[in-house]
Amino acid sequence: RRGLGVAAGPPSTRQLREAEETAPVFQYAGKAARRKDRVFVWGFSYSGALGVPSFVRPDAGWKKPRRIQPTPYRLETEEKISSAACGYGFTLLASNTRDITKVWGMGLNKDSQLGFQRTRRDQTKGYEYVLEPSPIPLPLEKPQHTRVLQVSCGRAHSLVLTDSEGVFTMGNNSYGQCGRKIVEDEIYSGSHLIHQLKEFDSRVVQVVCGQDHSLFRTEKGTVYACGWGADGQTGLGHYNITSVPTKLHGDIAGVNIIQVSSYGDCCLAVSDEGDVFGWGNSEYLQLASVTETTQVNVPRHLPFKIGKVKEAACGGTGNVILTEEGNVFVWGYGILGKGPNLTETAVPEMIPPSLFGWSDFSPDIRVAHVRCGLSQFAALTNRGELFVWGKNLRGCLGTGRMEDQYFPWRVTVPGEVVDVACGVDHMVSMVRSF
Amino acid sequence: LNAAPGRAPRQQVRFLPTPVPGGGGAVELVAARVPVLADHPLVRGPRFRKLKIGAGHRLDVKSSGVFVLGIGHGNKLLTGLHNCHLTKVYTVGGLFGKATDDFSDTGNLVEKTTFDHITREKLERILAVIQGTNQKALLMYSNIDMKTQEAYELAVKGLIRPMAKSPPIITAIRCLQFALPEFQLEIHCLHETQQYLRKMVHEIGLELKSSAVCTQVRRIRDGVFTVDDALLRTQWNLQSIQEAIRNCQHKVQTELEKTL
Repeated sequence: RRGLGVAAGPPSTRQLREAEETAPVFQYAGKAARRKDRVFVWGFSYSGALGVPSFVRPDAGWKKPRRIQPTPYRLETEEKISSAACGYGFTLLASNTRDITKVWGMGLNKDSQLGFQRTRRDQTKGYEYVLEPSPIPLPLEKPQHTRVLQVSCGRAHSLVLTDSEGVFTMGNNSYGQCGRKIVEDEIYSGSHLIHQLKEFDSRVVQVVCGQDHSLFRTEKGTVYACGWGADGQTGLGHYNITSVPTKLHGDIAGVNIIQVSSYGDCCLAVSDEGDVFGWGNSEYLQLASVTETTQVNVPRHLPFKIGKVKEAACGGTGNVILTEEGNVFVWGYGILGKGPNLTETAVPEMIPPSLFGWSDFSPDIRVAHVRCGLSQFAALTNRGELFVWGKNLRGCLGTGRMEDQYFPWRVTVPGEVVDVACGVDHMVSMVRSF
Repeated sequence: LNAAPGRAPRQQVRFLPTPVPGGGGAVELVAARVPVLADHPLVRGPRFRKLKIGAGHRLDVKSSGVFVLGIGHGNKLLTGLHNCHLTKVYTVGGLFGKATDDFSDTGNLVEKTTFDHITREKLERILAVIQGTNQKALLMYSNIDMKTQEAYELAVKGLIRPMAKSPPIITAIRCLQFALPEFQLEIHCLHETQQYLRKMVHEIGLELKSSAVCTQVRRIRDGVFTVDDALLRTQWNLQSIQEAIRNCQHKVQTELEKTL
């Protein structure tokens, strides 16, 4: 307390301490603060696959159309997205909810791969490009009980897996990839038809779309396929089209398969004992370790001596495998991730773990998942970091640069990456905030 | 230093006239090794009149730790070491709950926040993200073309680092101690200042939805020099300094040869 005639000097230490003790305390996050789940997208946006309409049709005068989103961009969704899949120019997002809307789609819809999206102006026509995540109406018997487990997208068709009502397929069926009888000269654009598949030997637990074929994995460990087979990717022993899901035999007969993967024309399956089986296109040396032919139409066991395999992913020309110890092996053709000199190999080569952040300083970093796009690869570590490498087609790697990436490069995402889906020219990731 | 025995004077060969043994007035020239008079201590004077001492990487007034000095020829080695761009290691102590204007605990208070929601896992997650973004910066500022095979091989070995001027980069960061509200981090960094480390502590506090100030910055390693090589205040005498120089010589030599 100073008198009026005394000048104010700098506050003494005691005054500072008293001011500090009486200062108000702010609370930004309480004990019950939860981590939020977010979706980030990046890549080519003019197809609408990123789900941000202002990139294609700017809604403010100062905004310019953004052809490519080179770094991760947050997509606002109404529900927590549990599964996402990227196709050739379109995306599907699915949530685990019991509400009526469980699946949203955006991007190309010229073959009704996103279902029928009614236009506002004309009740009979549908949108050919969907710029925003729009709900896809599924013909469920019990819409408030069934849950959607997984979605998968191919070139022009998509599959939705539910827990009690089988698999729903929509989109192009000119090769039977939707699992229903092929109708000649069928017009797929603006079609309301969503087919339901229930005739499998047990419950389907995983659906995978190749470019023009579909693979279904059941609880018992069997694999069914339908669709285009000219490269043998249906694995049924012939090179014809199949329009009904048929069981695969060959080397996987009797083997309990725990994971199937495909994106182009080659397919890989992993058994519970850690063996890898492959079939389909082998023009890029994907199956050259067992055969010289360029097409394999029966599943063949790939005798790799790299340890027990946990997960496999197929790209267009290259394949990647993750072993139980957390090592990543690549083979095939293209930018494989071991520098510009390694462009093709028939035998899997390991990518050194130091490129994924492993060092003496942090020795417990392991790769937890691997995913493949058409010519890109993605790896997720147990710390939630995302590494990408491969051809940077229209900015799909998300690194912020337009050049191809010859070895694994970190993508900066504000959060812990839980899952990623790779497409041809865009990627979608599910992230938990800090 | 001047009292220590100096270098032996140079010797030269001179032909000196000495009388021929055996008598007589004749004089012959005999070669003899004779010290050069110019090297005599009384002619030359004290050997050291002033010493050139140069300093290595800067250390703040509020920080402590290893500080490298070079004497005489060591100054030239200092520039060489600076061009090696080796990492420095700091132990940084922080305190949650306060935010000040100069990021240290002696500054003016800006804000007080709660911090009981912070756990060690959250802190380690933030540290992993910091390490990730800085790893990217490491590769970007090293100015190597990413498309070459050499870049790939260096990246595998972990030897890519910027060899020229660059913004501060943290190569590794980990949490040593965590006891709310205090915590201690070990930071390996390049081209940084201590104020940048304090700012990093403040930003970690912000990311964890609270606030933090830095209480202690201590450098424990500067390139090849660690705390074990450093001399304490009580050891600042001639013998210790000479011994320290002798011990470090070999290390500095190998490091310079490895990089240049």
